[in-house]
Formats: sequence, C-alpha cells, structure tokens
Amino acid sequence: MVTERVQVAKDEAEVRAIRRVQSGESDMEILIGYILQVGVLLSVAFILLGIAWRWLATGAFTLEYSITGMNFFEFVLEDLRQVALGAFRPRLWVNLGIATLMLTPYVRVLASMIFFAVVERNWKYTLFTAFVFTVLTYSLFLR
Amino acid sequence: MSFFTVLLVSIVAGFVGAMGGMGGGVVLIPALTLIGVDIKQAIAISIVSAIATSSGSASAYVKDRITNLKVGMFLEMFTIVGALVGAAITLIAPRQPLFIVFGLVLLLTWYALFRQRNEQWRPVAHQDKLSHWLELEGSYYDQAADETLDYRGARAYFGGPMMFGAGVIAGLLGIGAGALKVLIHDLVMGLPPKVSTTTSNLIIGVTTLAGTSVYLAAGYVNPGLTAPVIVGVVGGAFLGTRLLVHLTNARVRVFFLVVLLILGVEMILRGIGGAG
Repeated sequence: MVTERVQVAKDEAEVRAIRRVQSGESDMEILIGYILQVGVLLSVAFILLGIAWRWLATGAFTLEYSITGMNFFEFVLEDLRQVALGAFRPRLWVNLGIATLMLTPYVRVLASMIFFAVVERNWKYTLFTAFVFTVLTYSLFLR
Repeated sequence: MSFFTVLLVSIVAGFVGAMGGMGGGVVLIPALTLIGVDIKQAIAISIVSAIATSSGSASAYVKDRITNLKVGMFLEMFTIVGALVGAAITLIAPRQPLFIVFGLVLLLTWYALFRQRNEQWRPVAHQDKLSHWLELEGSYYDQAADETLDYRGARAYFGGPMMFGAGVIAGLLGIGAGALKVLIHDLVMGLPPKVSTTTSNLIIGVTTLAGTSVYLAAGYVNPGLTAPVIVGVVGGAFLGTRLLVHLTNARVRVFFLVVLLILGVEMILRGIGGAG
C-alpha cells in the first residue's frame, strides 16, 4: 500500500517534471520564432524605407556606396551613432536593414544560450550554444 | 544593370527557390552572373539574402514545433566553422573553378531532390550512445497524417563532421546548401523528412551569418545591390510559398528539377569556357 502510494507520488512528480520541461521547450520555440520573424520583417521594412526615400528624394532607386574597412560591430556602432545624431537618410536605413538582418540569427543564438542556461539548466546545450555564439562573435569581429 | 533588373531576377529566384522548398541562392547566383554581376559579389549578396529567407521560414516552423532545436544547435557548431573556411577559400580562389564547383553542387542538389521523391522514412531502430547523450530525439504533430510522430536521431558522430562539409559549401558558394543538409539529416541521422527540412532551415540562418561576416569584412557586400536582392528574394519566396499550396507537388518538383539541371550544366559550361 505504502510503496504503491510512494510510486504514484513519484510518477506524478515525474509527469510534472516532464510537463515543465515540455512547456519550457515550447517557450523557447515561441521566443525563437518571434526573434526570427521580427528580425526579418524589421530588416525588410528598413530597406524598403531606404529605397522609397531615395526614390522620393532623387527619382532614382539605386544607392551607390560600399561598406569597407570595418567589421560588423563597427558598422553597427557607426549606424547607431548616426541614429543618435538624428542623421537619417536613405543610406542609413539600408544599413540598419542589413545590420538588423545579420543580428537576427546572432540574437537567436544568444537567446537560446541564456534559455538553456537559466530556464532549462541544460549545461550540455548551454555549452554548445556558447561555442556557436563565440565563433559567431569572433567572425563578426573580422575585418 | 538597373535596379529593376536586379529586383526582378531576385523575385524570380526567391519564387522558384520557395517552390523547390529551398532558398533562392541556387537560382539567384547564376542569374546575377548572367546579368553581369561578378561571381564573388553575387555569392556575397546571395549569402546575405539567405539569412532572410531561411530565418523567415524557420520562424513559422519553429513556432509549429516541427523543428528540432537540439539537433539544430548541435549541428550548427559544425556548419558555422565550415562556412568560415568556405568563405575564406572563395576570397582567394580564382573565378572559373567557382563556376564549375557551383554547377557540380547544383547537380548534386538535383540528385538529392530526385532520390528524395520515392523514399519512405524509416524510424531509427537503434540509437547510438553519443546521439542518446546529445538528446537527439523528439516528436511532432503531423497534420497530414493527424498523429504525433516520435523519432530518434542517430549517428551524430557522422552527421556532425558531414555538416562541416555542408557548411564549407554554404560559405564557399553563398547558398544555404539546404538540400545537402536535408540529405545528411535523412540518410545519416534518420530524421523524418519534415523535421529534416525545418531543422535545416534553422541551421542555415547562422551558417549564412558566419559566411556573411567574412564577405562583409572583405568589402564584398555591396549595399546598392544587396538592398533590392533582399527585398526581391523575400517577396518572391513569400509569393512562391502561397502559390505552392495551390499546385500539385509532383508538377512543382518536376519543374524545379528541370531548372536545377539546366542551371547546373550551364554553370559548368561557363566555368570551362572561361566566362568567369
């Protein structure tokens, strides 16, 4: 009798644990889904805004400039500096679009790493995502 | 080349790519080089746009809980390193071999899709220790069959290193190399087709980001060209996915296979003929 009751309690605890893990995982799925969706939509919106502005201002669609001599983080900082100065122009919007697009998977990896570490407490996958995050950070510092 | 030519080419590439269940790269790069874009620049622009198409479709699949996040995040470790190596090779490679390799990969993709047509998925009977330790298993709800499907992945020790190779190709040629990733998921790791495709989409996002960072640093990401390409490919893929629902699967596949075959042979011929 007693052992049976213990068994039932154990089973229930296990079911609760499984449910917690399952709901935790689906939370991560929703989080990742939104990061990707918002990132891509924002990026396309910024680029469209840049192209439209260019067209309204000059009658031409094409922007001619290049991104050279800087790594990704310098590129983002330079754009943010211009945003802070309020120096909005077509080129800045296109740059913000490209930067947002590149940040999207990067943020996704960062969010997964934090989720694995804090919510799921899964050290294996915290380590794996940390590796991916480190390699990506290194590669974004390339110039 | 005018803004609208680039935009139109990108819309068509995104459209055809989506109908074949992939990104636009395999169509975009041959098309861009045909209208006069340098192949290295075409590769750089294509790999940026692949971040958009893969992340866009991945967002839906992840929310539907078909994507296996753990499989994806384990394999990403291999593909990103591969993509960095591949992109670095392209920067120093002569142009003609790039055409030939691109053509060969298109033919390989053609083969991968062709054999995928008549294959039935078989569950993994025995999961090895490493794959078990890596927690490579899951379940998803299959709408078509109206049932929840449980599955286990296997042979991670093989799948990982092979993914490094797929990453090299992605970085080298500026494509997501989704067909190759799906092939590895299916054949080596024994994942169900839907899980394979959707998980490969997730992986492509970070793989192409790694490649993009190399091309950005080298100054190959030309914003004037990249802007219409991103908008065009994303728009074309959106339309393609909507239309796909109304078309029969077999017809779409035959169409896509023919396109791939023509582009593959054409790229090889241009490589040999020295049209770099």
